[in-house]
Amino acid sequence: MSGAENGPGLQQFLGNLRAAPRRFVDTMCRTGRPSTDRTRSGFVFGNVFLHLHSVRTHRWSLRWSTTAGLGLATLGAFLITLVTGVLLMFYYKPYPDVAYDSMKDIHFIVPTGRFVRNIHRWAANLMVVTVILHMARVFYTAAYRAPREFNWLVGMALLVMTLGLSFTGYLLPWDQLAYWAITIGANIAQSPREVTDALNITSVFDPGGLQRLLLLGSDTVGEEALIRFYLLHVMLLPLVAGALMAVHIWRIRKDGGLAKPADVDARLGPPPEGVYPVFTEAPAKTYHLAAIVRGRTPVVGHGPEQTVPSMPHLFYAELAVLMLTVFVCTALALVSDAPLKELANPLVPENPAKAPWYFLGLQELVAFSAFMGGIGIPTIVLAGLGLIPYLDREEAGTGVWFGGSGGWPLVRRSLVVGLAAALLIESIAIRFGWLREWFPEIPQLVITAINPGTILTLVYGWYSVWLVKRFQSTRAGALGLFTCFLCGFVVLTTIGTYFRGPNWEFFWSPADWPGH
Amino acid sequence: MQAFNRNKWLLLASSAGVLALLVAAAVQENLLVEWRGIQAQAATPDGPLPVRLRQVVNPALGIADRCVSCHVAMAPGEESVTGASLAEHPAVVHDPSEFGCTVCHGGQGRATTKADAHGRVAFWPDPMLPVGMTEAGCGTCHAALGIPAREQLETARASLERGGCLACHRVDGRGGVTTPSTLASRGRRRTGDAGVPAPDLSRVGLTGYDPGWYSRHRQRAAADDTWQPFSADEGDRDNLDLYLSTRVGAPRLVAAKSVFHATGCLGCHKVNGVGGDAGPDLTRAGAKDPGRLDFSAVSGPRTLAAWFAEHVRAPAAVVAGSLMPAVNASADEIDALTFYTLSLRQRDVAGSYVPRDRVRVQRFGEREFTSDGATLFGAFCAGCHGREGQGFRVPGMVFPSIANPDFLAIAPDALITETIVRGRPGRRMQAWSAETTGLTPADVTTIVTYMRNRAGVPAPVDTRPPRWVRGDAALGERIYAASCAGCHGAKGEGGDGPALNNPVLQQLATDTYLTETVARGRRGTAMGGFLEPSTVRRTLAREEIEAVVTFIRSWGGRL
Repeated sequence: MSGAENGPGLQQFLGNLRAAPRRFVDTMCRTGRPSTDRTRSGFVFGNVFLHLHSVRTHRWSLRWSTTAGLGLATLGAFLITLVTGVLLMFYYKPYPDVAYDSMKDIHFIVPTGRFVRNIHRWAANLMVVTVILHMARVFYTAAYRAPREFNWLVGMALLVMTLGLSFTGYLLPWDQLAYWAITIGANIAQSPREVTDALNITSVFDPGGLQRLLLLGSDTVGEEALIRFYLLHVMLLPLVAGALMAVHIWRIRKDGGLAKPADVDARLGPPPEGVYPVFTEAPAKTYHLAAIVRGRTPVVGHGPEQTVPSMPHLFYAELAVLMLTVFVCTALALVSDAPLKELANPLVPENPAKAPWYFLGLQELVAFSAFMGGIGIPTIVLAGLGLIPYLDREEAGTGVWFGGSGGWPLVRRSLVVGLAAALLIESIAIRFGWLREWFPEIPQLVITAINPGTILTLVYGWYSVWLVKRFQSTRAGALGLFTCFLCGFVVLTTIGTYFRGPNWEFFWSPADWPGH
Repeated sequence: MQAFNRNKWLLLASSAGVLALLVAAAVQENLLVEWRGIQAQAATPDGPLPVRLRQVVNPALGIADRCVSCHVAMAPGEESVTGASLAEHPAVVHDPSEFGCTVCHGGQGRATTKADAHGRVAFWPDPMLPVGMTEAGCGTCHAALGIPAREQLETARASLERGGCLACHRVDGRGGVTTPSTLASRGRRRTGDAGVPAPDLSRVGLTGYDPGWYSRHRQRAAADDTWQPFSADEGDRDNLDLYLSTRVGAPRLVAAKSVFHATGCLGCHKVNGVGGDAGPDLTRAGAKDPGRLDFSAVSGPRTLAAWFAEHVRAPAAVVAGSLMPAVNASADEIDALTFYTLSLRQRDVAGSYVPRDRVRVQRFGEREFTSDGATLFGAFCAGCHGREGQGFRVPGMVFPSIANPDFLAIAPDALITETIVRGRPGRRMQAWSAETTGLTPADVTTIVTYMRNRAGVPAPVDTRPPRWVRGDAALGERIYAASCAGCHGAKGEGGDGPALNNPVLQQLATDTYLTETVARGRRGTAMGGFLEPSTVRRTLAREEIEAVVTFIRSWGGRL
């Protein structure tokens, strides 16, 4: 066949065939290949996932000390659990006893099943850690302040979601650890009974029993509880958490990016020579969209000074954090196996039966008063955290670590106060017992009202009010209270995790436990 | 820009790190696997063995046993595997390709590494049975029936040895060296033909055998000069039948069981609904999780077998507060008791797999031991009253000597029988009713007859009514306070001597029994005969004895 015989139709066809890969990329990117700052901006703006970012990112946000990448690490851990969780779902069977067998199969014969499960478990734990650290970061940089109040609340919802995801996943292996941890968790949900029992109205008004029933679907942890936890774990909670995360991230952009100190230009200095990126063409058009946005949009009125294109600067940073998270999870997964104890046996209670570690602080409080530990104090803490951005209307120190009245010295002092108060009250309760040991006949309601948990809460509250007066600043009170809350959480969780043995008695080491 | 470059490098480094970790994990999880290496070294006549995961799955038994991935020569369908480091399975009745491994051996079937599969890891409640105690695994499903007590079994075994049966028959891996010709092959015998081997009798208790075997043996011996002359008296033949009925392919387990039934453990412990209530039910004792036991007083390996052995040796040291007396047993006996306890590891299997013997135990209440007097006494009484019925005392506890001829000579059978059935409230002797303990009235009669026969003391003949004494209670009270209260307590509540105000004793004991006991005393105990002259105690006249009994009777009926 000679060239002359090739009609224009066939040439066109061959040309189109050659151009197909290039056109595929062009059409995928919608605004063309992201090769210039302008097309990159278009790429970010036009991509359904990337447009959660703004197209340009402030240099302040890119500093590691601003966020330490904690929020992204949380998202990364969530994505890792999502991927590994879907893999595990191929083999996991949510039915009592069969579930345990399928865990054994995943561990022993599913190719890399054990490794995938280990990653899932470590990513889940990492997510709990990073979400708490992320919250602390946002608090200490005062990033919750206007206009980011609502995003703080969304973040709190995500904290609850994270704990819920982790807790519902805890039951699925159906081993002794899972079974009794969930039993304890369900009993914590039932804790309002302490009050209704004391008032002798449980038979007519039993919110605790209802909560437990809703959680378990039956009177004991059984197949109903397992399928319920499974559904929550693999469908409902991930969907809700995913949606909330989308809102959370989208609101960052809408609320003007990450919080920055007012004197951010002075702190950053002029951008280094040659890397100050400018729009190559018609920069005026870039903010068309922002210009028509109504209301108080923080970016309106600001030029692109001190910003760099999100692509690639922000994306490299983000990918680095995400990949670092993957690295941490896989490294841990390689050296440490996720626990799997004996098959769940409702007739052989674990002693001590412990909830998942992040609830052991609560369990420590529950040991003093079920109602206060399970409902009262968590409600107070959540309400207090949620109110912080609405009470602290100050502006000094936003975007700066330990910004605001008092600053780092106050936080340092609060660390001492918070740790000392928690350790002191725990030491008294451990060494001398509490009201029940001193006055065996005392009504339960008195103990519900006066126990180490409530006293600790009162001490922290009183200290924080004192700080507000002393510094004439709500932020100072908040700094003190939040620091104390973290201290209490760490102290109680540590005691619950490492120093509580059979019958929730205090032991310096598990080696001292009786019987072994 | 510096930050930009730093992040780029960080991304590169962490990506490379993740890649390295993933490769390492893939290699570790898929290639560096123990069983792959083992299978790679094995070969079949057709060439190298294909390396793949092998398992025995049987949903009815709830197993997925991957043991055969390493023990590849035992894998179903694999024949003549060579080069495998692990041997083939010996021939057994239960086909391993159907029953798998863990049902009999214990261990963790789903595991694919040695430590996990053998179950010697934390959080696996059922480690493999120790070597030499494999037969304990039979107890997972089976309950061999009609096992006699140890002495009977040993007597029966002696009959087998004496009868020369082992010359031709193989039993439990012994014997069967000569092969006499049959009548049909007689001519060929002389040309060096080995003849036909006699049947292996190791499992004859399961398969059954010709009840007319003895006369046929005799006939053949008479007709064929290559047959051994063979004769056995009737007692020997009964013994042989007893012994053969216990040949179920688990000789060590049967022997262990016979020791258990001679040690009197059922006096306090129940197994399958048979036995006393004082101690824990042992029906599933072999399924205990060693991870949940206290090993602080047990030296050596942390295995269930070691724990049981030490527990039998020194109960209170292993389980704080245990009331179990230390069993006076030799090392071999302790091994046997441990062995048997390990075999009590019932597990739930699909109905089609429940063997007949288990059904007979659970549905029809059949017992795992024979119902002769010696076995019943050994199983139920020997634990407290001693193997000879001699009784014993430890601080705080007295177990009466029921074989005492003085006791047997004056105690009517009704007294002994009723005492067994109703027990002695307030003391360790419990009521042995058929419903709650599995000891039937016929068994009680058998036990009483056995005790009398062994002591050679017939039942006393008492023509008087149960209550005939009409003495002077006031005189009796004075004598009691002076001569009896020291041991029996001021109000008959007991002390060093037995309580006399016990309502069941009061109801069951006849006046004749009481007066004769006071009059003759009981040799071997602190109770002397008060009718006989003595230098250490006051001698009582018949009227005085009757007065004391009248006084004792004044407590009667006080329940």
